Amino acid sequence: MTPIPLTVIGGFLGAGKTTLVNHFLRTATRRIGVLVNDFGAINIDAALIASRDSEMVALTNGCVCCGTGDDLGAGLVRLMARERGIEHVIIEASGVSDPWRVAQLALVEPGFNLEPIVVVADGVALPRQLRDRWVSDTVRGQLLAAELVVLNKAEHATAEARAAIQAIRPEARLIETRHGVMSADLLQFPTRPPSRFRAEVVVEHAFQSWHFIPDGPFDRDRLRALLVGLPASVLRVKGFCRLGREAAPHLLQFASGQWALSSSDALEPGLVVIGTPMMPDSDELTALFDAALSH
Amino acid sequence: MPSETRIFKANRIVTMNTSLPQATHVAVRDGRILAVGGPELVDAVGPATLDDRFAGNVIVPGFVEGHGHAADGLMWRNPYVGYFPRTAPDGARHAGFRNLRDLIDQLRWTEAAMTGPDKPLVAWGFDPIYFDGPRLTLADLDSISTRRAVVVAHVSGHIQNVNSVVLQRAGFSADSNLQGLVRDAAGQLTGELQGPAVMGRASRVTGDPGLTRVLDVPALRDFGKLTRRVGVTTATDLANTLADETVTAMHVATAEDDFPLRLVPALRARDYGVREGIARIAALRRLNSERLHFGVAKLVVDGSIQGFTARLRWPGYHNGAPNGLWYVAPAELGGIIEAYHQAGIQLHLHTNGDEASELAIEMIGRAVSAHPRLDHRHTLQHCQMAEEAMFRRMNTFGICVNLFANHIYYWGEQHRALTIGPSRAQRLNACATALRAGVPLAIHSDTPVTPVDPLFTMWCAVNRFTAQDRVLGPYERITPEQALHAVTLGPAYTLHMDHLIGSIDVGKFADFAVLDRDPLAFEKMKIREISVRATISGGRVFDNA
Repeated sequence: MTPIPLTVIGGFLGAGKTTLVNHFLRTATRRIGVLVNDFGAINIDAALIASRDSEMVALTNGCVCCGTGDDLGAGLVRLMARERGIEHVIIEASGVSDPWRVAQLALVEPGFNLEPIVVVADGVALPRQLRDRWVSDTVRGQLLAAELVVLNKAEHATAEARAAIQAIRPEARLIETRHGVMSADLLQFPTRPPSRFRAEVVVEHAFQSWHFIPDGPFDRDRLRALLVGLPASVLRVKGFCRLGREAAPHLLQFASGQWALSSSDALEPGLVVIGTPMMPDSDELTALFDAALSH
Repeated sequence: MPSETRIFKANRIVTMNTSLPQATHVAVRDGRILAVGGPELVDAVGPATLDDRFAGNVIVPGFVEGHGHAADGLMWRNPYVGYFPRTAPDGARHAGFRNLRDLIDQLRWTEAAMTGPDKPLVAWGFDPIYFDGPRLTLADLDSISTRRAVVVAHVSGHIQNVNSVVLQRAGFSADSNLQGLVRDAAGQLTGELQGPAVMGRASRVTGDPGLTRVLDVPALRDFGKLTRRVGVTTATDLANTLADETVTAMHVATAEDDFPLRLVPALRARDYGVREGIARIAALRRLNSERLHFGVAKLVVDGSIQGFTARLRWPGYHNGAPNGLWYVAPAELGGIIEAYHQAGIQLHLHTNGDEASELAIEMIGRAVSAHPRLDHRHTLQHCQMAEEAMFRRMNTFGICVNLFANHIYYWGEQHRALTIGPSRAQRLNACATALRAGVPLAIHSDTPVTPVDPLFTMWCAVNRFTAQDRVLGPYERITPEQALHAVTLGPAYTLHMDHLIGSIDVGKFADFAVLDRDPLAFEKMKIREISVRATISGGRVFDNA
């Protein structure tokens, strides 16, 4: 089964998460399933709605949207069980949640690819929020989890807002939007199928990707050491590999220093590494990953 | 059927009614109190049956549990593995486990007696902070079963231990490195799972709702058995989504002749949009009866202190842990409070940390100032870290408080050593300060978090003893009279029901607890040893013998 891309959209109350999600739903070219971490807060353009029941809103273009309470994982499983054929999942985190805690679901539940963690920032309110006695640590924590910061209300954003984001999370890619209008391409990391070359760095979208086809199994301990030691500029490692003497391939998903390794029925081994422009170059990565192989 | 009058005669009746604090006789008709007084009552009320089976006992108003959860009635379908003794709905006394060996042996026997290989074994109430020595290991849980899913849930609700069956079904391999998968010094998985992501996955793959089942009629009956055994005649279910099937179960259970309890369910407001929640309460109110009282809503503002998820003001957690979590954004909280306040609905706000209490007070203050409404009685629940200035502001805005007195005993030592340190622990659940500031006070158990038992809760507030026999905050001790008020009329007031329950006065429901000792005259340190001989709900006697 091909993993389904899963994008988390976080950001403080009022930053424009729902506007952004509505934009993606309006312009969707494939079936998006949206999970909103809030009851009764599903707020979708009336013109897009085909039908609605107590737990889900179905859109005319095949997308669906449902609300869920505290147990996001259960909500995600319910959504996928009810709606076959969803091609992309977007989780709209609640305005106070830590987007990384939400993103963890994609590592824990099988069948998903964790795409960039998007955090929407309010270009006008951000400086004030960062000084607020009650919410400053929450807003800062959300930005720290971001891989892609969407600075919304950019036309009114102050230099102070931009500087604050740069100071808190220089590693993240920054996109400026008005009324939540941005390309849906940004909801996924760019990846290209590996060429006939063994390794290749693709610079695109300001994220880099590098493909690696191991020519043998990894050594368990060395792989662990490799993953533990990866620099923060490496955002994801995902794909299939073999471990030790086991014949069955494993699916590896790495994000933010955490990873899941599970048995899998994939045919061809191959890993893709995604990172920021500061990610080590092809030669360095080749050396690191080669050194973790068994031989 | 002609109404019958019954006069209960007691050695002493503590009425909590200031016009007539003490009596020996109480006359009951149609489930309500007809008259209170001395022996002269027998001639004064007309034809009546004199019931003197409690002539040697003390009658007090039926206790009111202002913050409990009816889910307590569900817990006992699973084995209890807590440290402290606890009584099940059937009256069986579970001694609790003082070491891991006994606990594991017990679960092995339980497992051996289970039929059907697919049903998971889910135990609850585990609290390892009281055990010295080794932690519960994966080998321990695998020694219970390697074929059946085994889960030992910690009392905190944020941690559980599972066996290899659960790890394997969840796909948690030793090769993975996920937040919340605990490892030992050698790097091996211990089977301990922390946090909602990994615990949620584990509960989904065990294939049984376990501890997350929805309330049904038998669970409510069991909740009634638990509460009546400790003299409680009114209890909250704080809070519940109140979906149709739950409401039906509550309607059916409370309508049963021998249901011993008035149930006050609070709507979990965050399970609805603001308008929908307000409309839901309006609809539910139409189902109200003498034993079922819909109408209040609950909002959770932060997490728990011992889970380090409560929001604390400077200087934060004593051990340096980062500040906790808002469960609702401050501005959003303000909007929700304003909307419910304007709709005339009373709110119960869970605020554990002092920053959460401060925020809730501020937001209620704004709503009350913008839309004056007398007698709103919005109540802060837990409010464990509030200090003098906060209680004064609560008084100003007409806010009530329900403090978590049982915490002093169960987690006082941990609060002192780890979470808030020795200074702030002195005013943990500051009952005396609340009363001095004129804030209407109730105290609670939060059952099943700690066992429902108002005499024990009184004992906590009066003595402030921790589980290690240390007095924590002697200046916050209150008198037995104040404590009795805080488990009767106090919580009745916080539920807008003080005209119906909470004291023994003409016209009120005939809800009493019959005790073998007078809690106001007995040794303070022995209040928790007083036994409840019977519970009387609407004049109907439920004997504990």
